[in-house]
Amino acid sequence: MAERIMVKGNEAMAEAAVRAGCRLYFGYPITPQSEFTEYMARRMPEVDGVFLQSESEVAAVNMVYGAACTGHRVMTSTSSPGFSLMQEGVSYIAGAMLPAVFVNVVRGGPGLGDIQPAQSDYFQSTKGGGHGDYHLIVLAPGSIQEAVDLMETAFRLADNYRVPVMMLADGMLGQMMEPVVFPEYVKLDGINDHSSWALRGTDGREPHKVTSFDIDPVRLEEMNTETHKVYEEIRSKEIRFETHDLEDADYILVGYGTMGRILGSVVKMARKQGIKVGLFRPISLWPFPYDELKKAAKGKRFCTVVEMSTGQMVEDVRLSVEGALPVHFYGRTGGMVPTPDEVFKELVRLIG
Amino acid sequence: MNFTKKILIFMGMFGSGKTEIALNVSRLLTKNGERVALADIDTISPYYRSRDMRDSFAQFGIKIIAPKGKLAHADLPIIPPEIFGYVENPDFRVVLDVGGSDDGAVVLSSLSSRLPDENCETFYVLNPFRPFNDTVENAASHFFRLQEKSRMKINYLVNNTNIGSETTSETIDKGEEFVKQLSEKVSVPVAFTVVMNGLNIEPRLFEQLEIKKYMLNPWEVE
Repeated sequence: MAERIMVKGNEAMAEAAVRAGCRLYFGYPITPQSEFTEYMARRMPEVDGVFLQSESEVAAVNMVYGAACTGHRVMTSTSSPGFSLMQEGVSYIAGAMLPAVFVNVVRGGPGLGDIQPAQSDYFQSTKGGGHGDYHLIVLAPGSIQEAVDLMETAFRLADNYRVPVMMLADGMLGQMMEPVVFPEYVKLDGINDHSSWALRGTDGREPHKVTSFDIDPVRLEEMNTETHKVYEEIRSKEIRFETHDLEDADYILVGYGTMGRILGSVVKMARKQGIKVGLFRPISLWPFPYDELKKAAKGKRFCTVVEMSTGQMVEDVRLSVEGALPVHFYGRTGGMVPTPDEVFKELVRLIG
Repeated sequence: MNFTKKILIFMGMFGSGKTEIALNVSRLLTKNGERVALADIDTISPYYRSRDMRDSFAQFGIKIIAPKGKLAHADLPIIPPEIFGYVENPDFRVVLDVGGSDDGAVVLSSLSSRLPDENCETFYVLNPFRPFNDTVENAASHFFRLQEKSRMKINYLVNNTNIGSETTSETIDKGEEFVKQLSEKVSVPVAFTVVMNGLNIEPRLFEQLEIKKYMLNPWEVE
């Protein structure tokens, strides 16, 4: 059915995951992503999949760990405090080099925070969260259609590299409704052959071992080095970003996810008044488009980063431009969303 | 559409458009000089709720009843008792914006003993371009299940066929045909077809209710 329908972000990501071949879902409801879990509860039986509501996020992530050992497409979804609870399991899954997809529909924090949208889990998603040297591939969609399209990418990247992938959304993206076209169901034959390592029964072969553990420091270092070779390959091949009106721009706005949409409105407002502003929207937050942003920022007067946080991605933006131009920051937190109007005023103030 | 009863109830599946319609109908009634209390009994959705319009609707003389202060954003199923004051108050029309799907209908059922059928017009809002509404049979099963859970008698269907800004006259035609079939199947008449203002589409089969979108995203500048 290539027909456009009206879908909430949470429902849309869940349906996209089903179409991407995910048949194993483990989760625990939490606002503002509960519709995701609810959708999977209804949908998985229709496709002979497994839906399991765990007793907590700690249990959910360990179910994902176990299921990922089979090499089948597996996922969970949660919101900020829930993802904090999952960190130990995420580190184990990354350490064991297992494909799995996580969706975090971010809400206000820290602690219990609130249930309004936020982007304050950037550090946690892109720079660890759990212990040890590991990375998640982090994808940040700006619209529901993009979230749908990126969901298959998320599963494919997880499969290809054997790394966990995070879809970083925010409450707004989870709750809003937009027209969406869903892709066809992915044919899984032959695309994720994990038979060389997956745990699927030992009939006629030696047992496989999936672990993040090695008591011998020499061998553990080798294991970590192997993993980091994969991370290097991802860094060189999997950068994703989008730009608007950058060519003739004097100033550059940087924002990810739904913030990119808001900054899009700011660019339009500014251009109407003759202020030449462009937009850079990172889509892969890890790997971050350092070189691409550096190139885009060349010759511009300044760069302003806008986030629903007190300033997290701004650190990667500073690393990108290496002091070549001033980097300003504007943020709101606690579930407050910057309006195009207030960002525009801030821009005008900075231009002076 | 002449809204004849004192209490107008908008229920339906999750994301069918109840809130926008409840807001617009309330606004329409005040334009005709009526006093309106709009009760937000949606305990399901965390965002995009009629309570978000409490301040801007006060200027139209519309009283939005919902948990106050910090409780407005609490993830708690709170039904303010003052609803019943307005239900009894002869000076007010009452519009009920019910939460979506089964859980929303159950909340309505908890109030049903105070909502006598003869004072109520209950509308079942439906958008065939939403998930799980792909066939008339599925839509009918949702209708009957929600009616039963709500313990209310549904009087009308509301055709809210839309795919947002991409709605065309073809979309509306398809939706009207779908809702007509549903109407025959469940033996409940269609009250009207909702059309977003600015689309300039004339529905063919049913009366039109033109509405304005109030629940805007931050990048949708009015």
